[in-house]
Amino acid sequence: MSLPSLSRRERVALGAQRGVSFLLAPLWAAVVSLAVRRARFRFEGLAEMRAAYARLRAEPGPVLVCANHMTLVDSFLVAFALGNPAWFLLHFASVPWNVPEATVFASTPWMRAATWSLKCVTILRGRRDAVAATLSRVAHLLGRGEAVLVFPEGGRSRVGRVDVDARTWAVGRLLRSVPACRVLCVHLRGEGQTGVTDFPRRGERFHVAFSTIEPKSERRGLRACVELSGQVLSELARLEGREGGPWAGPVPA
Amino acid sequence: MATEAEVFESVVKILTPFVKNQEALASVKKETHILDDLKVNSSRLVDVVLQFEDTFDIEVADDDIDAVETVGNCVSLILAKVG
Repeated sequence: MSLPSLSRRERVALGAQRGVSFLLAPLWAAVVSLAVRRARFRFEGLAEMRAAYARLRAEPGPVLVCANHMTLVDSFLVAFALGNPAWFLLHFASVPWNVPEATVFASTPWMRAATWSLKCVTILRGRRDAVAATLSRVAHLLGRGEAVLVFPEGGRSRVGRVDVDARTWAVGRLLRSVPACRVLCVHLRGEGQTGVTDFPRRGERFHVAFSTIEPKSERRGLRACVELSGQVLSELARLEGREGGPWAGPVPA
Repeated sequence: MATEAEVFESVVKILTPFVKNQEALASVKKETHILDDLKVNSSRLVDVVLQFEDTFDIEVADDDIDAVETVGNCVSLILAKVG
């Protein structure tokens, strides 16, 4: 049930990474603010989302942010939805760590440097030992009161909706390793987002919906992990198909 | 109690529907890598391991899956659990 604990060296490395990220935070905050403005993105439900996240972070206990995933820039979009970049400068622990795929987002030295300075711990999917090492880092960060953002579908959805059939267990494994971890489910999607794309269109109008859950399972071992992950995916699907929302109703066949 | 050869045969049978590289499946050995050689989608590995549980009436712990890379790893894992 437990993930391997981090060595002292690994803990120090994460601390150093956090320190550098903190020093560079004003730069990244400015870049993200400018990019959102230039892309003319608009967000429905932004104020409610940010207020809820601030409230959640003000309470003690770890918070794992779980979001749906359709574009390459979802990490930025979700982070922007969670808090104003200026607010994040004053609440740096609330800037969520990201867990991007190493082969996509850290494939060159420059990209590795960028992800490293952006509170990211990369993951190498398909390599069991590497995945476990990354999950250990994430569990350590959650235990230290840092926020972490993950995409429980395990990649961008190819089915046009939240993929409830994605057979993932990593989120469940994290939840079993971090007691009393609250899960903030965030569904963020642009009106023009009909399927998986690399980037949202310019001027996109996003809709943000969220809920906080504490997944539970009576099962054991891997089955518990799968069940916990499934509860998170189901909640994201519920948020997507919520009544009155732009994608109301069940997933189309 | 199942022998190593019987477990190996069952493991291959369970893996077969998930295998994309049929050539590698035809010459499957204990050293055959499930993801790299058989090209099983990493996200389907959960289904494979859950089928091990059902077939052999065992319980696989969270961290057991970290050790599952080759067909031989699967056989060893199952034998350790049923033994």
